Amino acid sequence: MLVYTMRRLVGAIPVLVLASILTFVMVDISGDPLLELRTATPPPPEAVIEQEAERLYLDRSMPERYWLWVTGIGGEGNIGLLQGEFGPSTQGQQYEIGPEIAERLWTTLRLVGIAMLLALGLAIIAGAVSAMRQYSKLDYTLTFVGFLCLAMPTFWLAGIVQASGVEINQLIGENLFKTIGDGRYGAEGAPPWDQFVNAFAHMALPTLVLMLTSFASWSRYQRTSMLEVLNSDYVRLARAKGLRDKVVIRRHALRTALIPLTTVFALGVAGIIDGTILTETVFQWRGLGDFFITAVENNDSYALMGWLLLSGFMVILANLIADLLYGVLDPRIRYE
Amino acid sequence: MTTENMSNAETDVSSHGDTVLEVDALNVTFPSEDGSLPAVREVSYRLRRGEALGIVGESGSGKSVTSMAIMGLLPKNTRIDGSVRLMGEEILGLPDKAISKVRGKKIAMIFQDPLTSLNPVYTIGFQISEAVLAHNDVGRKRAWERSRELLEIVGIPSPGQRLRQYPHELSGGMRQRVVIAIAMANNPDVIIADEPTTALDVTVQAQVLDALQSARKETGAALVLITHDLGVVAGQVERVAVMYGGRIVESGPVEEVFYRPQMPYALGLLGSLPRLDEERAERLAPIGGTPPSLMNLPRGCAFAPRCPMARDVCHTEEPVLLRTLDNGDRVPPRPEDAAAHVAACHFSDELGAGIRPEALFREAGKGSGEETERSEQGAAGDPEVLLRAEDLVKNFPIRSKGLLKRKVGDVQAVSGISLELRERETLALVGESGCGKSTTARLLLNLIRSTSGRVSYMGKPLQGLSDKQMRPLRRDLQIVFQDPFASLDPRMTVADIIAEPMLIHRTRNGDAKKRVKELLELVGLNPEHGSRYPHEFSGGQRQRIGVARALSLNPKVLVLDEPVSALDVSIQAGVINLLEDLQEELGLSYLFVSHDLSVVKHIADRVAVMYLGKIVETATTDQLFEAPAHPYTQALISAIPLPDPVKERTRERIVVTGDVPSPADPPSGCRFRTRCPKFAQDLSKTEREKCVQEVPGLLERGSGHRDACHYSEVVELL
Repeated sequence: MLVYTMRRLVGAIPVLVLASILTFVMVDISGDPLLELRTATPPPPEAVIEQEAERLYLDRSMPERYWLWVTGIGGEGNIGLLQGEFGPSTQGQQYEIGPEIAERLWTTLRLVGIAMLLALGLAIIAGAVSAMRQYSKLDYTLTFVGFLCLAMPTFWLAGIVQASGVEINQLIGENLFKTIGDGRYGAEGAPPWDQFVNAFAHMALPTLVLMLTSFASWSRYQRTSMLEVLNSDYVRLARAKGLRDKVVIRRHALRTALIPLTTVFALGVAGIIDGTILTETVFQWRGLGDFFITAVENNDSYALMGWLLLSGFMVILANLIADLLYGVLDPRIRYE
Repeated sequence: MTTENMSNAETDVSSHGDTVLEVDALNVTFPSEDGSLPAVREVSYRLRRGEALGIVGESGSGKSVTSMAIMGLLPKNTRIDGSVRLMGEEILGLPDKAISKVRGKKIAMIFQDPLTSLNPVYTIGFQISEAVLAHNDVGRKRAWERSRELLEIVGIPSPGQRLRQYPHELSGGMRQRVVIAIAMANNPDVIIADEPTTALDVTVQAQVLDALQSARKETGAALVLITHDLGVVAGQVERVAVMYGGRIVESGPVEEVFYRPQMPYALGLLGSLPRLDEERAERLAPIGGTPPSLMNLPRGCAFAPRCPMARDVCHTEEPVLLRTLDNGDRVPPRPEDAAAHVAACHFSDELGAGIRPEALFREAGKGSGEETERSEQGAAGDPEVLLRAEDLVKNFPIRSKGLLKRKVGDVQAVSGISLELRERETLALVGESGCGKSTTARLLLNLIRSTSGRVSYMGKPLQGLSDKQMRPLRRDLQIVFQDPFASLDPRMTVADIIAEPMLIHRTRNGDAKKRVKELLELVGLNPEHGSRYPHEFSGGQRQRIGVARALSLNPKVLVLDEPVSALDVSIQAGVINLLEDLQEELGLSYLFVSHDLSVVKHIADRVAVMYLGKIVETATTDQLFEAPAHPYTQALISAIPLPDPVKERTRERIVVTGDVPSPADPPSGCRFRTRCPKFAQDLSKTEREKCVQEVPGLLERGSGHRDACHYSEVVELL
């Protein structure tokens, strides 16, 4: 298993390199980092533009820049992935991409982690119950809720949840839900309980939105997978052995029905970095989504590259974890 | 409280004598969008302690649904009424808590497909222990011990090690024995086995049936054996019930039903079976038509539309099960003579003893005269060789899972096969699953590339031809596949399917329609049905469509890859007869790939028996069945159950142990030696050396009969 893990990680390197080249080229040709400077009124002196171009290494050719971005050889010490530097930003000299990403990642993970776990738990329960009561009223209701969440655009769903939050606050005449920001500023130094209440107030609504969007598709997968297992011969044999219904469901049906969900879950987690963009925007969280939007707005190519690299890395990592989990959950799959 | 219940149960048992299972007027109806489906109608039977009852029927006859209903394993929305009493206690409709105390403890079940019957994520030991622990709180350790014992009883070698393995590490035959072990774990009073050997090879089938008998001996359980295989029934049970259209239409002692059937359907089933123990010259007598759909069961007797004896009353009045007395009167059976021979037919008295199925079920317009003519032709002269294979080898590489995908070995699917197919001849390629027979067939058609060796068609070498060069030859070489459901495009009309080869080869541009009609008529289908889609046809009819498609280019050679093994017995006979007629009419050569020796005996002129990628014996059909020389052929022939109770119980058997070794790592020397009964029992140590070291060649025994065994000896088995 260890050898397999190592091999997979080593195998991921060429994939990451190829992906980084591709995104680098695409980011490079899709926007000019100096656009804002060039179109500013009154037009800044040529020397300023040249200076900025030099700071951003734009005076070099694209292949040279890619090489510099990876290795940092020949740079000013503020670039080179291998040296832990992500490159200069268009958003000013003080804007350091690396630390910024790290801070944003923590904000996003806080939101995503809880939402994912809740969504997974609910999806497993709802899917299993739906399958066990196939074509019952409960199944139809859960199916309807699932498709409703699937069908609603995220920004709209987020908007509705936010508006409802405001409505509830007005109804009870108290600021129960915070609908803007992640609430970390200003809470520092407060007693633990207050910090907790504050965090809950800020997190409840965006977590709900993120959870609903993931829950919808996962519960559908779980239902299908569970239905298949419930109709299998080995579940029938387990019943024929004389096991009680709940034992059969827990031990034989649910256990095996979880295996295919692993892949779906891993892919969902991998995609969630992109998925939070809309939710973070609506609730004005300063997470990775917000980071991405600002980078695009500022034609900040190195910041964009950093974000894309992280996103790609998450996909590879999530897939690896899913594959390893498969090996644990399904004895038919063994890696040596 | 408990003691009171106990004594109650005991008195109940005694009042019911030795009856363990009593099914009374059982009806099962499935709701569906198109209305309700009556899958089981008024089924009643009694099972005495330790008795074995066979339930025979074709697919859709309701035989499996009946047993699922008894076990309470049908979906909740199924409507079930009637009564099922186990040891005098009603078990139909019991709540989960009560029924789970009965299941596995008093009544156990074995399912058809051993590959899906065990949960892939738990070890064998866990799954057997689970069954033990469900009814006895003896602790994990004792349960594990008991599991080991059980595996020993069902004949699994090194049981201690097997307990720790997962299902996928065991072969199909082993897994079915594990399921049998689970069934007998709590010494049940009744074991229901639902087609327990249908998914297995014949040599493994014999082993599993043995395990089933040991389980019965050990537990004293009564057995309900559900199967479509009349041979299995003949050898394994004392009483048999025949089901058709959801009802029992005949039941009685197995000899009575087999030798003196009182219902035309039972007679027809026997007649449509190609037999190993009879001369092949006789034509099969298939039952016309197809089994009824449950959706619209015919009024009156469900079998009437297919019955040659049917009269008006058969179409209006459904016959009930009646017993014929010695004086010829027919009366309803009394409860105490549950074992009596009863049949549901208005005219069963007309089916006197000794009536031959072919006398009743003769196909209209086709006599058996052609048959003799045909065999004469086969004997005359030395016809031209059409297809010749020499030293054909096919290895499939096994690659490592890493990035580099290094080749780590070979699956030796076909290892040096030579054969010849002559004009107007049927050559059968026989063997168990995984022996390489289908790969050989595909190699002969150049559908896959051989690793080495030569194939030639009419003297022209085929290997190395590009797809384009091969195309004109494909007209002459056509194939019919095993699965009639998967081999026809569901979105094409039957006419389009049949015309497609003509379109590809640009023959018959204008009159393709006419040709399609001709072909449909030729294979016995209504020529007006060309505009229908495949799903509107039954399995047998679809296989006929497959044949029509293969014939559309007037081929010379037809490769038939298990063409009848997916079909019901009564349907199979019709397709076999059709193939024989077509060969006669069109002068075709057949390469008939099959695992079923009975069918092969009926249809083939010559037979090549394959084992693990090699031909072990080849001979004319008569030679092979009268004087099989290779121990594998002998074992294969003796493993096939004969549909004749007396013969089946008294015949001599040559039993093969174990499973087929992996073709990735075949045994050295003779590949069969690891399972060979001769090697294990008759040979001395020095003689065995030769089997281990020397690969036996395919040597001539005289008059074209060749076998590959160092110590071959002819044995008469039939």
